[in-house]
Amino acid sequence: MEVTMDPLFLAWSYFRRRKFQQCSDICSKILQDSPYDQAAWSLKTRALTEMVYIDEIEVDQEGIAEMMLDESSIAQVARPGTSLRLPGTSQGGGPTQAVRPMTQSGRPITGFVRPSTQSGRPGTMEQAIKTPRTASTARPVTSASGRFIRLGTASMLTNPDGPFINLSRLNLAKYSQKPDLSRTLFEFIFHHENDVKNVSVNVDYYSCNTNFIFLVQALDLAAQATEHAQFKDWWWKVQLGKCYYRLGLYREAEKQFRSALNHQEVVDTYLYLAKVYQRLDQPITALNLFKQGLDHFPGEVTLLTGIARIHEEMNNIPSATEYYKDVLKQDNTHVEAIACIGSNHFYTDQPEIALRFYRRLLQMGVYNCQLYNNLGLCCFYAQQYDMTLSSFERALALVANDEELSDVWYNIGHVAVGIGDLTLAYQCFKLALAFNNDHAEAYNNLAVLELRKGRIEQSKAFLQTAASLAPHMYEPHFNLSILSEKIGDLQSSYTAAQKSEDTFPEHVDTQQLLKQLRQHFAVL
Amino acid sequence: MSDKNVLNAINKSTDLPFSEHSEDKMPEVKSVFREVLPKQGQLSMEDVPTMILCKPKLLPLKSVTLEKLEKMQMEAQEAVKQQELAGREQLQ
Repeated sequence: MEVTMDPLFLAWSYFRRRKFQQCSDICSKILQDSPYDQAAWSLKTRALTEMVYIDEIEVDQEGIAEMMLDESSIAQVARPGTSLRLPGTSQGGGPTQAVRPMTQSGRPITGFVRPSTQSGRPGTMEQAIKTPRTASTARPVTSASGRFIRLGTASMLTNPDGPFINLSRLNLAKYSQKPDLSRTLFEFIFHHENDVKNVSVNVDYYSCNTNFIFLVQALDLAAQATEHAQFKDWWWKVQLGKCYYRLGLYREAEKQFRSALNHQEVVDTYLYLAKVYQRLDQPITALNLFKQGLDHFPGEVTLLTGIARIHEEMNNIPSATEYYKDVLKQDNTHVEAIACIGSNHFYTDQPEIALRFYRRLLQMGVYNCQLYNNLGLCCFYAQQYDMTLSSFERALALVANDEELSDVWYNIGHVAVGIGDLTLAYQCFKLALAFNNDHAEAYNNLAVLELRKGRIEQSKAFLQTAASLAPHMYEPHFNLSILSEKIGDLQSSYTAAQKSEDTFPEHVDTQQLLKQLRQHFAVL
Repeated sequence: MSDKNVLNAINKSTDLPFSEHSEDKMPEVKSVFREVLPKQGQLSMEDVPTMILCKPKLLPLKSVTLEKLEKMQMEAQEAVKQQELAGREQLQ
């Protein structure tokens, strides 16, 4: 006779093994037989939440609306070194733009991307609409909740019978009294329902605000539960803070997190609170908070990483590297720290040390296109030519999308330039453009190669394209200036040189060129 | 000292990797021009601004959260596409 396992136990086992779909299916069956089984209900809620769970600390999507119509900033023109919005004020003497490429937001390119590194703070609307350079996931145009809307579609489609919990019919007051159920229910609303309901955005005109409605429901639940706990439960306060943060009420969020910290010191709360301060553009307060957190939790990796990230965002690369090194002392498998230190070594002219860091990542089991591309570049510049091309071959084999492919070809183009094979270089840059037509760097380099062949018009056209695609780069402007000067068009040379100076004021060659041009004009 | 002797002396003293190579090739080409190796005076170089290439780009690694987000986004797009296809088939 076959012995069958208790279905609830089986469901638990699936949950522990992170097989959430099976777990949810079994729970659905149990719930069909006995609709009031709270254990099964709670487990299914948790399984559904886990399926779409993303770490809330890491997620920081800033929509264009939030960025351009920001009301929470204190000073429009902040003093240097006190704002994340003025990245140009480098204090630490890290590598300049001449060595280390910049992202569109004016920060040096980083070794590691997180959801929030993608949202630079552009100066103009036009720049805001263009996608950031580092990773090319499109930014939601309307609001921070845009991404959650799109994510919800899939989970909705897999549930053809309709939603698991009909939130509008739920008596939240009743649930908030049951501490065992209310927490899972809250997480479900916050992470899962937040997504699912928004599918109806396509269908119903009125439900544009459903996202907010459900957030407000989550908020309601959290508020009632805190009340039930007589305002003594730190967990509910943190959840309240999370809701306020998503709704854009940063000061209220700050209050909740502060109050939660008074009840119980938790690392997460520090991280959430620091996130609020970063959004309010108060990096110094966030830094102080992290240090305060480190007093209570010495050597905590996430807090150290937070400090390093802020330093990096404020363009203070040397101290960011110091903190990343501290992180590695605590946790020597920290991918972000290794990648950031590695890229820093590469751009400070020590490719062989960068190579060791990237090799370490490879040993740890990171296996993707980006890593092999970086290994290839490091090998080439550290003169280990035997490994270079095979690394790039692997990178090409592992690419996930056209943008990555174009970046890899762009870098191979550099190797080709390095060995003097200009035909190959030309082909590589052309390939980079074939896969990503907006690759401004490739346009610029092609222009240089075209000029070597003597095709002035073609070169000029490429440079103009590059300049319009990436106004944050100085190279196309500078090159255009030199080209115009050579063919005798001093006026356009002067304007281009001025643009180059705007984006990179310390560039010596630009200044010399400008001086020379001014002398010419004075003589005339 | 003749020019060839000078060249040999340089090659011997610095032991450049291409020295043998140039020894093999050099005698065959009879140069019309005589090299000038100035013994005194200042060496000067004019710094002409040249066009610059954009720098090689290390690709940033992606965080786990970002990878998960992108994966979920891809899946969502796939699901929507499939549903649209199914809807079209039903219409036909």
